[in-house]
Amino acid sequence: MKVADAIVIQGLKKVFKGALGDRVAAVDDLSIQVSQGEIFGFIGPNGAGKTTTIKILLGLLFPTSGKLQVLGAPAGDNETKRRISYLPESPYFYEHMSGYEVLDFYCKLFRLGKPARKKKINELLERVGLASDGKRALRQYSKGMLQRIGIAQSLINDPDLLILDEPTSGLDPIAHKDIQDLIISLKQQGKTVFVSSHQLTDIERVCDRVAIINRGKLVKLGSMEELLHIGRIIVTLTGADDAVLAAVKAVSEECVMDGNMLRVYVRSEDAVLKVLEAAKGKATLVSVVPQRQTLEDLFVEIVREARK
Amino acid sequence: MIIWSIAKTTVGDALRKKVVQIFLVVAIGLIVISLSFSQNLAFSAKEGSSVDLYLLKGFGLGLMALAGGLISLVMGVSLIPQEIERRTIYTILSKPVQRYEFIVGKFLGAILTLAICMALMGTVFMGVIAAKAYAANASQVMPAVTAAGGLESTAAQVTKVQLFDVNSLMGVVNVFMQFVLLTSVVMLFSVFFTPTINFFLGLGVYVIGLMASLTETLAWHDPDTSPTILQAFYTVVHAVIPNFDKFNQMNSLLHPEMAVTNMPLYTFQTSLYGLIYALIAMTVAVIIFEQKEV
Repeated sequence: MKVADAIVIQGLKKVFKGALGDRVAAVDDLSIQVSQGEIFGFIGPNGAGKTTTIKILLGLLFPTSGKLQVLGAPAGDNETKRRISYLPESPYFYEHMSGYEVLDFYCKLFRLGKPARKKKINELLERVGLASDGKRALRQYSKGMLQRIGIAQSLINDPDLLILDEPTSGLDPIAHKDIQDLIISLKQQGKTVFVSSHQLTDIERVCDRVAIINRGKLVKLGSMEELLHIGRIIVTLTGADDAVLAAVKAVSEECVMDGNMLRVYVRSEDAVLKVLEAAKGKATLVSVVPQRQTLEDLFVEIVREARK
Repeated sequence: MIIWSIAKTTVGDALRKKVVQIFLVVAIGLIVISLSFSQNLAFSAKEGSSVDLYLLKGFGLGLMALAGGLISLVMGVSLIPQEIERRTIYTILSKPVQRYEFIVGKFLGAILTLAICMALMGTVFMGVIAAKAYAANASQVMPAVTAAGGLESTAAQVTKVQLFDVNSLMGVVNVFMQFVLLTSVVMLFSVFFTPTINFFLGLGVYVIGLMASLTETLAWHDPDTSPTILQAFYTVVHAVIPNFDKFNQMNSLLHPEMAVTNMPLYTFQTSLYGLIYALIAMTVAVIIFEQKEV
């Protein structure tokens, strides 16, 4: 356990009792360490135990067994909550209040004085793009605007650790991009972000490391480089004649003629060089594109494998 | 600051509930209309007051008790479960907010909501009573023709009815305290029951609490004989379920001969009883909620 770890989860287990007395393990022997300043993706299919884990980190649920530390303190510690923030999935706020009033309410929960609240709320509304809508009642807000208010309330205390549950759920592409940018800017400020999402392209784009859980168990954990291996490399040529085709076939895995284009699929950089050597002076190189496995590919592969 | 912020938010949220608004408006409307109900009733100078004034007080307090009870139940049963269902509780408890602050804030908000509703209904009620008393006094000052043919006031022969009736105000306070107590009970239940179950459970407790004199009679046993299981059961019921009948002042207003001699003192005692019981209920709710998973 390092001092620099923002989150430490060791052997976490959470068992829920069913209505008929049956026991279901929502989280089972989960161990994760999240370093400070890291953007950590936490993904899994529905019912995998993501939200349960997050709720345990926040002290809303209690673990059946296992050790948890958040910013060096036990999960749910009230003083530590001053340094963390949480955005739940599809948050609901009191609809009769305006955006300003809701943020004022949350500011009061941090015991901020009136002048500090006013300054902070105006800053936050500006930051999430709601400066001109702050006085409108939340019942008039769109889903994206409510999500922005949710983000704003999670930034009130300038937290060291942000826990975001589906932060881009139901957002339009602009709002989606804004939240991605916000997460990246938080990393640049040295904040730790623990993000759970089904938007795997977002996770792949912004996260340093990712944990994949399925049925409460950790299945994969690592950086994108560690998890997503380079697949095939596609070399595209034009003007290749039969002689070139015959030469590259010998060193490639697959060749596809598409009109004037010849796509050559190889597995290694050496094979790329051999293809280029065979085509030298006889065909024109268009591109060399490495095909990397996506997080979505990996996720689907893992979940399907687990279901077999 | 935190408790007060949660309380204020609860008041804003509760007063915007359509069901609360409907109960309130209907009750106020009926209290106002009750003025005309009793206009045609015969005036009686019995004991210096009018029969229809007593009926008016009983009817008004009854309406307030009905509206207050429904508001208390409807609001109280959903205060905590609704926060969990809407997930607002997650954004609140993930901030540096102690769980007891949340519970106390919600309870205080519910009490403030009830106080606002009672203040509105009570003001209209007291106004109606004052208007009726004024009308009663005016009708007593009818000039009479003397034997000499002159006019003579008969006002000195009857007692005037007070426009501001302290006992009626104490009646309103008693109704309010009754529902402070009921709210604390349903909030305690709401820590572990769903709103629907809680509604009927709260209603059951309220009805049994109103029949406290009956449960007391059933619990009584002869000291020379050993108590039966049923008597032991009623003893427990009588001891545990709050005595809502204590707050019921409608009978004493309708039948002044049964009235409490010192109403302000009695109200102080019942209020103290209600507050102590509510404090115990909320303490238990806080202890349970500290261990509750949300």
